[in-house]
Amino acid sequence: MSQSYDRGLVEDFGRWREFSAGMWAWLFHKFTGWVLIGYLFTHIAVLSSALNGAATYNSTLHGLEGLLVVRILEVGLLAVAVFHILNGVRLLFVDLGVGIGLETQEKSFYASLILTGLIVVASVPVFLEGGL
Amino acid sequence: MSTHTTETETDDPQAERMARKEARADEREEASATPGADVGEDAVTLKVFRYDPEVEEKRHPRFDTFHVPREPGITVLDALIYARDTYDSTLTFRHSCRQAVCGSDALFINGRQRLGCQTQIADLDDPDVVRVEPLPHREVVKDLVVDMEHFYDQMDAVEPYFSPAEAPDGEQLQSRENREKIKMSTRCIWCGACMSSCNVAAGDNQYLGPAAINEAYRFYFDEREGAERQRERLEIIEQEHGVWRCQTQFSCTTVCPKDIPLTEHIQELKREAVKQNLKFW
Amino acid sequence: MAERYSSFRAGSTRWFLQRITAAFLVVTLAFHFYLVHFLHPAPQITFGGSAGRFSVPSYFVTMVLFLGAATFHGVNGVYNALVNQGVEGTPLRAAKWVLAVAGVLLFVQGVRVALALAGGA
Repeated sequence: MSQSYDRGLVEDFGRWREFSAGMWAWLFHKFTGWVLIGYLFTHIAVLSSALNGAATYNSTLHGLEGLLVVRILEVGLLAVAVFHILNGVRLLFVDLGVGIGLETQEKSFYASLILTGLIVVASVPVFLEGGL
Repeated sequence: MSTHTTETETDDPQAERMARKEARADEREEASATPGADVGEDAVTLKVFRYDPEVEEKRHPRFDTFHVPREPGITVLDALIYARDTYDSTLTFRHSCRQAVCGSDALFINGRQRLGCQTQIADLDDPDVVRVEPLPHREVVKDLVVDMEHFYDQMDAVEPYFSPAEAPDGEQLQSRENREKIKMSTRCIWCGACMSSCNVAAGDNQYLGPAAINEAYRFYFDEREGAERQRERLEIIEQEHGVWRCQTQFSCTTVCPKDIPLTEHIQELKREAVKQNLKFW
Repeated sequence: MAERYSSFRAGSTRWFLQRITAAFLVVTLAFHFYLVHFLHPAPQITFGGSAGRFSVPSYFVTMVLFLGAATFHGVNGVYNALVNQGVEGTPLRAAKWVLAVAGVLLFVQGVRVALALAGGA
């Protein structure tokens, strides 16, 4: 009599307060990864304007960079890339067997979050100004 | 009695847990020294997940609340047994040794996988309300009892038994160093807490899981089995849904009631697999 | 026990390469960001400026390697995310081929762009 009950994922996003640090790290790394690969395809597509000559390349890039929303998105891109890099470095260390204690790896995750925040905040002026 | 040192970060989960445990024992001693501290009046509120496909009212899962008298040293298992014996004899859950060696009573207590017998209610973040649910990512058979077949399947897949290629003449000795190396991995009690905490195991049904890989570790690094067996064992765990699926989320290490450094063991096996495969000459 | 007739263990190779490309990308991506957002801010980039950089052989080679590593790392990452999510059988195989083809196309297109920029100096 196997009428067992499948509750599905108990850790659905409604219970996000119960998520451990390691889970957040995994989630964020995945999320930032998707964003970055999506951006890579877009990026090459935009740069492909170079194949149509210098004028097209220049006008495409300047046109895009002239939009404020693009500049803001670039800050978002920076945040995503910086987190992925910092957490990635943390994962590389874990893969090498360094910093594999529970306390250490939680602390290093929080460190990557904080460092990401700092770098992004520090870079905002440069991004929004540069050449407007 | 015990001095809790924090400077030298040993990264040894067992040592850290023992240190915390001693600190808590001291706290409890102090608390119970005050008269009338915990007798009767302030009961523990126990909220338990109920489900029974054969009973009309319990076909849809619900939570039942029991009030259990707070005794010194009461564990979640004690509370459950009290609730079953006093209030509702249909309350169903697995338990046996009540000393954290049989692995029967792995539960989801206040949002985390723990052994019922090993969890002092006084040690919980909220010692007044205890919420007990069955292990996540496992199908519920009744109340707190989950279907463990899949877990056992994954364990069996790694051939979790000592099987040297040839029988030795005379004694088969293991060096002290070798024993030390695999010591932590021998502690697994097959409770299933780790597998239940792993998000990758939840998504990918074929993933062997931390417990199975740890079992493989225990035998892979046992020097008495010989190189050929070692190679065969590596083949099992280096398949697509073996060690490579681990994303170093560390949830398994966090919840293991026997303090086994699971993630570390899985990482070591990944490195072994890469090393062995790089040797293509 | 499944017999393996090839010694190519796909699992460990992709895992290993993911880490190798990761280490390489940490450096090159950080450098790339620094270059196009701080040193030569993106709004001021012109075809001429880019072409000047791409006509330097070492820069050209680095950028191509950068693109290759990023493409592999990203496509492999997506594939792993799918496997972890429990995708299997035919949908997984289909996804694998789509990803592989997309990755190759991306790389080829990127190299074409690089060549166009290098040739325009």
